[in-house]
Amino acid sequence: MPARIAGSAVRTCLGDGPATFAALLRGEDGVAPLRHQDHAAVGVTHGYEIDDDRPEAFHGSHWLTACLRDALAQSGVDPARQRTVALIGTGLRELSAVEDGSAFATERLHFAHAVRQAAPQTEAVHTLAGACSAGGHALALAQDLIELGEADAVLVGGADAMTVSMLAMIGRVADRPADRVRPFDAERRGVLLGDGAAALVLVPDRGEGPGTARVLATGLSCDAVHPTAPDREGILRAMRQAFERAGRAPGEVDVVYAHGTGTALNDPVEAAALRELHGSPGPLVTAVKGAVGHTSGGSALLSVAMAVHSMEMGLVPPVTGLRDPLPEADGLRLVRGAPHAADVVTAQVDAFGFGGVNAVSLLERLA
Amino acid sequence: MKPTPTMSDQGTIARTATAAVTAHAVHVPGADGDDALPGALRVPACSAEQAHELLGRKGLLGKDEATRLALCAVHRALGRPPRAPRPDHPADPATAVVVASNLGNTATVARIAAEARERGARSVSPLDAPTASSNVIAGAVAIWFRYGGPNLTLCSGATAGMDAIWLGCLLLRSGRAEQVVVVGVEPGDPVAAALHANRAGAVPGIPLRAAAACLVLRSAPAAPGAQAVLELSADPVDVGDGAPVKELGDTYGAAGVLRTALAVAELEPGGRTRVICGDRVDGGRELWVGRV
Repeated sequence: MPARIAGSAVRTCLGDGPATFAALLRGEDGVAPLRHQDHAAVGVTHGYEIDDDRPEAFHGSHWLTACLRDALAQSGVDPARQRTVALIGTGLRELSAVEDGSAFATERLHFAHAVRQAAPQTEAVHTLAGACSAGGHALALAQDLIELGEADAVLVGGADAMTVSMLAMIGRVADRPADRVRPFDAERRGVLLGDGAAALVLVPDRGEGPGTARVLATGLSCDAVHPTAPDREGILRAMRQAFERAGRAPGEVDVVYAHGTGTALNDPVEAAALRELHGSPGPLVTAVKGAVGHTSGGSALLSVAMAVHSMEMGLVPPVTGLRDPLPEADGLRLVRGAPHAADVVTAQVDAFGFGGVNAVSLLERLA
Repeated sequence: MKPTPTMSDQGTIARTATAAVTAHAVHVPGADGDDALPGALRVPACSAEQAHELLGRKGLLGKDEATRLALCAVHRALGRPPRAPRPDHPADPATAVVVASNLGNTATVARIAAEARERGARSVSPLDAPTASSNVIAGAVAIWFRYGGPNLTLCSGATAGMDAIWLGCLLLRSGRAEQVVVVGVEPGDPVAAALHANRAGAVPGIPLRAAAACLVLRSAPAAPGAQAVLELSADPVDVGDGAPVKELGDTYGAAGVLRTALAVAELEPGGRTRVICGDRVDGGRELWVGRV
């Protein structure tokens, strides 16, 4: 049975889902000097932090629990009555607690506790480390579980808070620290991290109930080429597999929510893959990381949630931070400057991560 | 006893998965001379520092203990001779990798953070960049052995090993892979050992043991060369403290894969073995190992 998105919620530096989408439409961003990090230690000065009354530690868990509560309430799913499994994608788990060095119950490294705060009767919680495409991998497996009848509902989550170690790696490899993320821009200077979490509730689509979109398919691949650099062939395999599994053609896509990290390597490789898959003029292309930063494990699901807002409102937000597109994006219909009105029925969401892990999802508006 | 499909309020759900094991290996450094351990564990296994004896030297620079042990376990499961040249064919999109590990990158992450705080970001090594991400082992296995299918890493605590086997079965059932290389691995470094001891579900007196194990899965029962068949359910079970073996120590996220590999190695004709993993906090899982 197809899988319907019965609930969705996000937390970003721009707020919850509706607030984040409204800010995207206005071209706003949440970048600021990092408040919670030692700039000299990490070699990075800016980021997209959530400015909230955060607890001392386990910030990713904190935001994930909030998202799961919201998404569950929308969905009407009751884990006490319906067999509910949770798949949580993450890049960095709660490793900042390890970096801080004080003792804690090590079970808090993964997200079972965070899920059970929102849904105590969840049968099993699986924490999937999958770098920046972890949420897309969780979504793929969640759809499989629904289609095979393994669960009545799947809580699909993604969560990450910044770690000193990952920030330091970003600082180490940058010529000079970026002050914002500029996806697909000729003058882009690299990625910055964003705090964030996202959650979806997936249920079998029986033609009724809450929600406005279904998941058609997610293609998964591993480049098996390089530990950190993306590979066009690996990315294209995930894209093509998504269309094969969905039984759809690339020409049916109305909008692509691209991975678009604003790095030297990702953007030309992704642009080339999109051009090869979709031809020219392909679908509208947008990306959210210029507005909310790279939310890592949550980023795929955040894009999914924004794509659903596009379906509901008939608007595709511009790529925040994009001024002059890089040459490799010639022929891509990048949305620039202002929202683009569009009847969005089918959307593609890209997510690629360290380890060469790729997840490309296709969504469809329910009739 | 076969796990019984149970009822939900939306009807009966068939939730028992099966898969054939076509290859297996355990790689537990220091176990070969210990008479207190099961025979199948007592095979010579090089330490992470000596991994070049099995894998060859090329490509090991910057790889952490858990990644090296994982590569050793896969190398052995594939029956490759010591220092055999690495495969150089195009990545196989039909083979998936599923790794279970909770503590594989914790020492490296702690060290990078300490270096950055003491001497600034310029002092950290880009060689460590892949290890800052918790899926480093699965990516390394895919690159080393040329596996282009889905690539997953489970970090779900004491059940991670069996969760990995279960998700491996899911990849076979959903047609995402024809073959799944499942690896369970934990390192034995001081950071990992301290984190292991600080678990709310820790059993006092049983420390972390560095270990790796590998299972190669295909769809049952058609798989040629099948050594055993696994049956497992999505249903959680109560396994108490997970019955860690004092003489071995606790292999934590690796336990589900390691114990299953041992059960496959020791399976008697007509036998059927129950394997459990988990603890009082993370919960428990079970599977059954039987003849083809």
